[in-house]
Amino acid sequence: MIATARSDAAPIGRVVATELKPSTPHQFHFWTATDTSIGIGAIVKVEELGAGGSGIGRIVYGVVTEGFAYSDLATPLHDVVGAEGDPTRAVHPPTARQQIRYWTAAVLRQMPEEPLQPVPLGQVFVAGDADVAQALRMDAYLYSATPTAIPIGLYTSAGLEAPVYLDADFLIGPEAAHLNISGVSGLATKTSAVEFLLASIFAHFPAHKGRVAALCFNVKGPDLCFLDQPGNLSDEDRRRYERLAVPSTPFERVRLYAPLKADGVNLNTLRTHPDLVGAVEPLTWGLQEVVDYAEVLLNRDDIDAKADAFIDFLRDRVLGRTFDDGFGTTHRVQTFADLDRLFRSIFDGLEITAGGRSDSWRTHHIATMRKVRNRLLNISTRCKGLVTDDGPSSDLPWEEFEDRTVYVIDIANVDPLGQDLVFARVVSKLREQLERRELGVDAVVVFVDELNKYAPGDGPETYVKKMLLDISERGRYLGLVLFGAEQFRSQVHRRVVGNAGTQVFGRMDMDELATPGYQVLTPATKSKLATLPIGELMVRHPHFTQPIFVRFPKPPVLRGRDGVERFPPAMDVPFDDAVVRQLVRLDQGGRGGRIRPNQVKDLIADRDQDDVRRALAAVRHTRPEDALAYFRKVLGARIAPEAAVPRERHAVPPLNPISEEPY
Amino acid sequence: MTWWQALIDGGAVPGRGGKSDEPEGGAADPADLVEGAELQAHPLVDRSAAQIPAEVSFLNGIERWSVVAYDGVVQIVSAYVAAAVRRRDTEGVLHTTFERSRSFVVAPVERMTPPLRQVLEQSVTDIEPIDGELVGQPARYLEKVESTVRRVRAHLERELAEACTNGLGAEEWLILDGLLSRSPAVARHPRALGVIKSHGAQFLEGRGLERALTLPAGNRTSVFAVRGGHTRTEVYSWYVRLWPWEGNDLLYGLLRVEGRAHPDTVARASELSGWLWAERAPLATPATRWDRLLYPLHQVEEYLKALAPRDLQLHRASRLPRTGT
Repeated sequence: MIATARSDAAPIGRVVATELKPSTPHQFHFWTATDTSIGIGAIVKVEELGAGGSGIGRIVYGVVTEGFAYSDLATPLHDVVGAEGDPTRAVHPPTARQQIRYWTAAVLRQMPEEPLQPVPLGQVFVAGDADVAQALRMDAYLYSATPTAIPIGLYTSAGLEAPVYLDADFLIGPEAAHLNISGVSGLATKTSAVEFLLASIFAHFPAHKGRVAALCFNVKGPDLCFLDQPGNLSDEDRRRYERLAVPSTPFERVRLYAPLKADGVNLNTLRTHPDLVGAVEPLTWGLQEVVDYAEVLLNRDDIDAKADAFIDFLRDRVLGRTFDDGFGTTHRVQTFADLDRLFRSIFDGLEITAGGRSDSWRTHHIATMRKVRNRLLNISTRCKGLVTDDGPSSDLPWEEFEDRTVYVIDIANVDPLGQDLVFARVVSKLREQLERRELGVDAVVVFVDELNKYAPGDGPETYVKKMLLDISERGRYLGLVLFGAEQFRSQVHRRVVGNAGTQVFGRMDMDELATPGYQVLTPATKSKLATLPIGELMVRHPHFTQPIFVRFPKPPVLRGRDGVERFPPAMDVPFDDAVVRQLVRLDQGGRGGRIRPNQVKDLIADRDQDDVRRALAAVRHTRPEDALAYFRKVLGARIAPEAAVPRERHAVPPLNPISEEPY
Repeated sequence: MTWWQALIDGGAVPGRGGKSDEPEGGAADPADLVEGAELQAHPLVDRSAAQIPAEVSFLNGIERWSVVAYDGVVQIVSAYVAAAVRRRDTEGVLHTTFERSRSFVVAPVERMTPPLRQVLEQSVTDIEPIDGELVGQPARYLEKVESTVRRVRAHLERELAEACTNGLGAEEWLILDGLLSRSPAVARHPRALGVIKSHGAQFLEGRGLERALTLPAGNRTSVFAVRGGHTRTEVYSWYVRLWPWEGNDLLYGLLRVEGRAHPDTVARASELSGWLWAERAPLATPATRWDRLLYPLHQVEEYLKALAPRDLQLHRASRLPRTGT
């Protein structure tokens, strides 16, 4: 609604326009007193006198983008002459020179919007709460019957503080989606901002838009490992939370996943403190989970069309099926160990049965098969702990994602190849489940840090990059939303950043600001960006015609660095202790109280560790009421049949990359 | 070598310029020296040691006029005069305390045709009459218009100066641009000074005049008594040189100061001169007479110019429409 009464507040300036610097529909200039409270980024309101000099006419909202100060000094030389060349004489002249504070503002909104006209010469006022809502067009989604406003922070200027909201339809979809945040490393701005925004989304995501969850990849140290633990908030932070109507408490529902270490029982994460490790779920995948993403893992330089065809053959005809290798052996390939047996059987068959005269099997050349075998089996070596040779996998609850829950996958200590695998598979599964509406939630925010690494503007077209592009371009229709962060926005693929409806900037490096992507910003705005304090951001959003600076409170969770200080990671425990610990956690019915360590240790004494791992994985997979009983059963049942058939090897041996084999 | 270079080499002082000042209003009587037996140059203390009063107000005025219509050869003039007093605060910033302006018409109404006269008198209430005998001589007529407007401005400034001096604080000074002696009340005020930049009227002669016109920078002359303005009120006066005249002209940087005719003025002449010398910075550029124009007086003038009607701005060299680009 357009106000009809003039502002009660005193004006702080007046619009001026000259032939050289005229007002336009998108920009205007005004002056203020020398001592003024406004600065770059301040939102101001211009009121034109109504017809006949009463009431108000056009109202224009603008954001200050540039500031100038100058005096009536005609030339610097005159100051030198006045001071007789002595700077000390120029310090306290009897009369202060006439000077001006002259500001340039970019128009945020005009009311009425049509006809669009140059900004009138009028008085300038500091914008209040309601003005900020009008200026940023937030009124449409803040005061509507079905509000979709998500607080992003507080606009603070001239002693005023007004909440700034994003539109959920443009942040989560379907109108626009995705958020990209840039900023220099080490200030905790990017991660903190995303943590706060997730808390804000969970608190304000409108019910009519359904259920929402977040999935975060922790790719650096302990950054996202303590989202369920309270952080240290100042009174000022709590006041800001109150102002934004966001709870200042840590996330209520956090599910953490981390791969196992190479020993197969200790978790590969920094959240291993005894008080917290119980909440971490192992993330392990077997052949079935991995083979669909073989493309991620295989180097495109040495996997050609023939290799591709053979992988497709394995995927379509072999995996999970009963398969006759043609040399009299029937296989059912479900694990890497099974796959290795199949390869050995084929190679032996070609060597022994065919007498070495044939160099192809089912139209596939033996060299191609050796190459594929080498690469596939190498995965379980390089990603040991994440990819298991054998046994059931432990995965995310793909059909049971919970509303307003954060799923954290800690891959900080995983081999880059494994990180790519995790990323590709998780995102693909999210997409599949969302397409089928079987994920359990209607929208998922996927937070990916280090986009400079995963979606660089140049470099090879990796599978991960293609996936990020796919999310960026088509994710909003599915409810798959990418929150990406990087240090150098200019070096991220431009379709990834370009498709982000909301752009957030923390403190930026001047070299980065000198790149063409920032040409639309004024020098003053760039200077402010280069010196932004922690907790302040510049936000671009489809409803905002100009970037807006906001402050956000410190996230209500324990920061990674503080987390590892308060909860130091535990040393890796011996194999049997790790098994006990996991069984205690998995014991649903007795809540772990009925499992005695010695009981478990006696059970696994002298047992093959791979068998124990398999049994443990089966318990994890099944989640029985009585974990120990089921563990005992699986351990026994599993071992017996295999003991009858002596295995050639206990596990898939790592392939020596410098072997004599040319592949 | 040029002939003037030869003169300079022979002992003459280098000079530059040739513009003469406009004559001051009123006849100038020979001055009576009130400080010493002979007019002398008195060096001032260093500018940095000058005692500048904490509270000072500055008064200045402007005038604008333009022929806006012709009734036959009768030139109808629209005029605007304004004056303001601005007080300097402790930060050195000026704030307007008194301000008056007058928009009026200068026209020989008795020489106008009746219909146009009627229109003029119906639409304008403030008409300053002017002698219609000069209508047939346009150039002289305009000189008369100019002097009329100046008279109105001087009257306005005098009124404002009197109003200001009535309300001056116990320690507050008033510096006005021009003659102090226009108003007897102001001329007798103990803390009012007139600063005169134009030196059309000479009060000295002989050796005294030469000493005054060749006064070194940072010096003042001895104090002498003068009668000025149409009120013929006696005031004490002296010259102060703000900037070296050598290499410029005799009047370069030369101010004449007027204070009340009182022995205290003589006693404080050096102190007051030191103060005015310290006021030479900041420079009052881009005013052409910045060498004699004190910056606060310049600022008052600029303030008044900003408020003056745009249609009475001085004509540029060309009367073609002018754009900023």
